Amino acid sequence: MTTTQVPTSTGAPVIGAGVTRVDGPLKVTGAVPYADDLAPRDALVGVLVGSTVAAGEISLVDTSDALAAPGVVAVLTHHNAPAVIRPNEASSDERAPMPPFQDATVRFRGDYVALVVAQTHEEAAHGASLLHVTYDATEPVVDLNDPRATRETDDPAGADSTRGDLDRGLAAADVVVEADYVTGDNTNNPLGLFAACAQWDGDALMMWATTQWPFNTADCLAEAWGIPREDVRVVCPYLGGGFGSGLRPWPYIHAAAMAAKVVDRPVRIVLSRPQMFTGVGHRPETVQRVRLGALRDGTLTAVEHTATIPVAMDDDNPENVVSGTRQGYAVEHLRADVDQVRLHISPPGSMRAPGEAQGNFGLETALDELALELGIDPVELRLRNYAHTNPDQDDLPWSSKALDECLRRGAELIGWDDRDPTPRSMREGDQLIGYGMAAVSFFYFQQPCTVRVVVRRDGSAAVHCAAMDIGTGTYTVVTQVAAERLGLELADVEVVLGDSSLPASPPAGGSGLAMAISNATARAVTGVLGDLELGSAPGRDALSRAVGDRDEVAAEATADKPDPAEVGMSPSGAFGAKFAKVRVDADLGLVRVERLVSVIDCGQVLNERTARSQVVGGTVGGIGHALLEHTTTDLHAGPQTGRITNAHLADYLIAVNADVPDLEVEFVGGPDRLNPVGVKGVGEVGLCGVAAAIGNAVHHATGRRIRRLPITPDLLL
Amino acid sequence: MHPFTYTRVDDVDAAVAAVTTDAVARAVQVPEDAAFIAGGTTQLDLMRDGVWSPGTLVDISRLPLADVEVEDGDGDDGTVLVVGAAVTMADLARHAAVAGLDVLRDSLLLAASPQLRAMATIGGNVLQRTRCRYFRDPTVSQCNKREPGSGCAAVEGTARMHAVLGVDAGCIALHASDLAVALVALDARVRLHGPDGVRTLPVADLHVRADDDPARDNVLTPGELVTHLEIPVPDARTGYLKVRDRASYEFALTSAAVVARVEDGVLAHVAIGLGGVGSVPWRATRAEEVLRGRPASLALFEEAAAAELADAFTLPGTDFKPELARRTLVRQLRDVTEVTA
Ligand SMILES: Cc1cc2nc3c(=O)[nH]c(=O)nc-3n(C[C@H](O)[C@H](O)[C@H](O)COP(=O)(O)OP(=O)(O)OC[C@H]3O[C@@H](n4cnc5c(N)ncnc54)[C@H](O)[C@@H]3O)c2cc1C
Repeated sequence: MTTTQVPTSTGAPVIGAGVTRVDGPLKVTGAVPYADDLAPRDALVGVLVGSTVAAGEISLVDTSDALAAPGVVAVLTHHNAPAVIRPNEASSDERAPMPPFQDATVRFRGDYVALVVAQTHEEAAHGASLLHVTYDATEPVVDLNDPRATRETDDPAGADSTRGDLDRGLAAADVVVEADYVTGDNTNNPLGLFAACAQWDGDALMMWATTQWPFNTADCLAEAWGIPREDVRVVCPYLGGGFGSGLRPWPYIHAAAMAAKVVDRPVRIVLSRPQMFTGVGHRPETVQRVRLGALRDGTLTAVEHTATIPVAMDDDNPENVVSGTRQGYAVEHLRADVDQVRLHISPPGSMRAPGEAQGNFGLETALDELALELGIDPVELRLRNYAHTNPDQDDLPWSSKALDECLRRGAELIGWDDRDPTPRSMREGDQLIGYGMAAVSFFYFQQPCTVRVVVRRDGSAAVHCAAMDIGTGTYTVVTQVAAERLGLELADVEVVLGDSSLPASPPAGGSGLAMAISNATARAVTGVLGDLELGSAPGRDALSRAVGDRDEVAAEATADKPDPAEVGMSPSGAFGAKFAKVRVDADLGLVRVERLVSVIDCGQVLNERTARSQVVGGTVGGIGHALLEHTTTDLHAGPQTGRITNAHLADYLIAVNADVPDLEVEFVGGPDRLNPVGVKGVGEVGLCGVAAAIGNAVHHATGRRIRRLPITPDLLL
Repeated sequence: MHPFTYTRVDDVDAAVAAVTTDAVARAVQVPEDAAFIAGGTTQLDLMRDGVWSPGTLVDISRLPLADVEVEDGDGDDGTVLVVGAAVTMADLARHAAVAGLDVLRDSLLLAASPQLRAMATIGGNVLQRTRCRYFRDPTVSQCNKREPGSGCAAVEGTARMHAVLGVDAGCIALHASDLAVALVALDARVRLHGPDGVRTLPVADLHVRADDDPARDNVLTPGELVTHLEIPVPDARTGYLKVRDRASYEFALTSAAVVARVEDGVLAHVAIGLGGVGSVPWRATRAEEVLRGRPASLALFEEAAAAELADAFTLPGTDFKPELARRTLVRQLRDVTEVTA
């Protein structure tokens, strides 16, 4: 691997260059401080105990044996845990997860019933095994298809939409295809186990916790405890993967704060792998129906996409399964509708490309079926229905869109036109060969972000923001933006993140942070240069002279989302085209991905290396989504109902190296017109479309249409 | 995890003397038990999951059982590999004596991950415990392996990585070792050293079928230690085919170990082990009977595979397995014999 060193004092652009990560050396030497590494070494250790029924009330917790065990200091249950306020309780759609130990109710299997606090992890774990909990169990509802389940139709995600008149659109169609699609439940499974350590100083709370959103976690803790926001500090400079599971203020974080309060000592909790399946969210399963009407020439006349998705008891998790459908294609008549079904399952959360990952599979598979029915090339079908303006936002022109280029370039790279399009026509020995593709129109997500840029007397600079780098390269790209705009070497810019006491930031999620933080950084640089009466990219000497004998000069700026009506444009998310080549063993049903081409329009690429690595990582997740990952739950009535049956990394299959070919990634398009840096997010577009492209390729290879994920060998026998 | 004490022994007799209960054979270990630990990749997992709680661990990984020797066999046997129980999977897989024995080498290299293979021993592999997630979760109350008479949650639950042969509604736990499947096809034997001396047993007789007694995993008597494996090198072609969702680092959905010699178009020798399907490493004797002495052909392979799986016990989650196992076996018979029609 080559190292790119870009001289910046000459004013050469560093935005876009694939510079190596500024935190790379720390990472590969094991020196980066993860949240748990910062916990005080004298902290006691808590082990959480989950319920063994999926619904009911705790009738008795016998703590005597546990308390008598060596090293055990305390056992927290709903009897003795401090009462706290549920954060965001007033919100209609985004209540924070319930803090633990507030009542005797069990809402899912694995719901925390106790925390055993001891001197060491082993002692706490042993104590936990000695706890005797009895329940008044009631019959849980855990199956999405269970007619007893409450169906919520109030549309918390704002997912539902109607345009035109669906029936008219269908009546005008020459061809209608309609089918059901099912995507299984998935678990984020970052390798780093989530951890929290709380320390109280009087009524002030210090928290080291795995989170993708320190600022909000601090807000929630302040609200929970009814203490001033400035008395709470949440620190998380690094985490070992998140994929969305660190977005919500999960109960284990509250449990650490409660325990530290009760024992009046710092207490740390590290979740176990099985607890990572029930304690930090998951990608909910979906059942979808897609109905497409089209003219013989491929023009879509009607699109209907409905989805059912589960949500936990007493919880909210808005997940828009149909966003890509609403804005994906130019169709006059459309109905999109998402219903949530309440189940006794652990609270879902976001998992890389929430909603879009699942919905894209339904829509883009249905389009493949339509293409086949019409005898039109699948790429051509997408181009014929190209949305030149955003049909979901008053037909405003996009702020940037190069999806057509993505499609054409992707087809060229994979050799689309060289394939024999007839299903089951290509074969080498036992292996059936297939090609498939899918398009992605990823949603735009933006929340206000504030950044402080500090120029020091020596001309070097610092950038401060509460935002998290979840491994995507935030430290690096912020360094690049600040360095370029200030005319500094990368080494002269220090970026400080992951601390709620720094300026307010949005979550590291929704593919929105890179855009938000780089724009805020650019604005803050403009602000500080204005204060210093300097032109753009002045360089270190000029900066130092302008600061003069002051210690430092700082400026803050906030980036926020534009008002589409005002700017006359629809703010765009990323676009992408995915092309897969698969081999399917004709007898054994084994699907192996041979090539996967991603062509992405993410606006201005901030760093070619980290952006590519986002698409590569997303694609690996997409291969897992398509072929491997599946969190399975016991659905049959009985004592095991609602239990996850594969909460273990040996049984929950994540794609490994052998499942992943050399991934081909190209970026097309140019800077987005709507923001000063021209950037769009690239964190999730890499995952979307992979499942549909692989599924469509499996159909091309075998002639078999598999409408459910994951596509496993048993479905192809 | 339950508190335990740890001792390391330096010779076989001390190891044997340290283990006085039948901990090695029972499906669960309790605080009264002392249990052997070799690489620990099964033993510690089960302790961490709270399924096993032996009071003492006796570390046998440093016993002088880490050599691979090539000996002359008696009678018809050509050479025999004598492999110490403490040899790691990684070391055996790359041993020169195994280079031509595809079925053995591939059963090792297609198992687990490089990290695990570097820790795990041959003795421990053969004696590894079922991966059944109902067995391995003590919060599951119905498990005839853990609690005889309590029932089988897996039968009603989400069965996939479960057995369809040698099982009934009382327990569908799978024996997931790849190596052991190759070993039964190779007619390998285990050498045991116990308080009453030394004995030798075919690997095919080592394990206890779930439909015989789910609460027992093998026939070892208290203190008995596996010291060696004796693996005859056959005068035949061999191969191991492992079918799994993930291309690496996963247990088999189905697998087939085939040892065969075709003379003048006729199957003069054939021995088959099937993986992913049995409560024990499955020796496919019915298929062998169909094949032995008959002209090799794809149609015959189909017939043999169908005979073997005819009485499979399936559930909604495992009903694909007999068909996949049949196809796996036919494919591997074809590839090992190079029969094309
Ligand atoms: C994630 C994962 C994936 C895996 N994938 C595969 C796979 O694909 N294929 C496969 O075949 N295996 C697989 N395994 C199983 C692995 O190969 C076994 O765990 C390993 O071989 C056991 O060897 P060990 O030395 O670690 O045994 P230990 O864990 O130390 O012991 C296992 C058991 O055998 C007993 N024991 C060990 N040695 C002796 C002896 N000499 N005499 C008497 N009793 C003894 C112990 O008391 C214990 O009960 C996997 C394991 C894991 C954790």
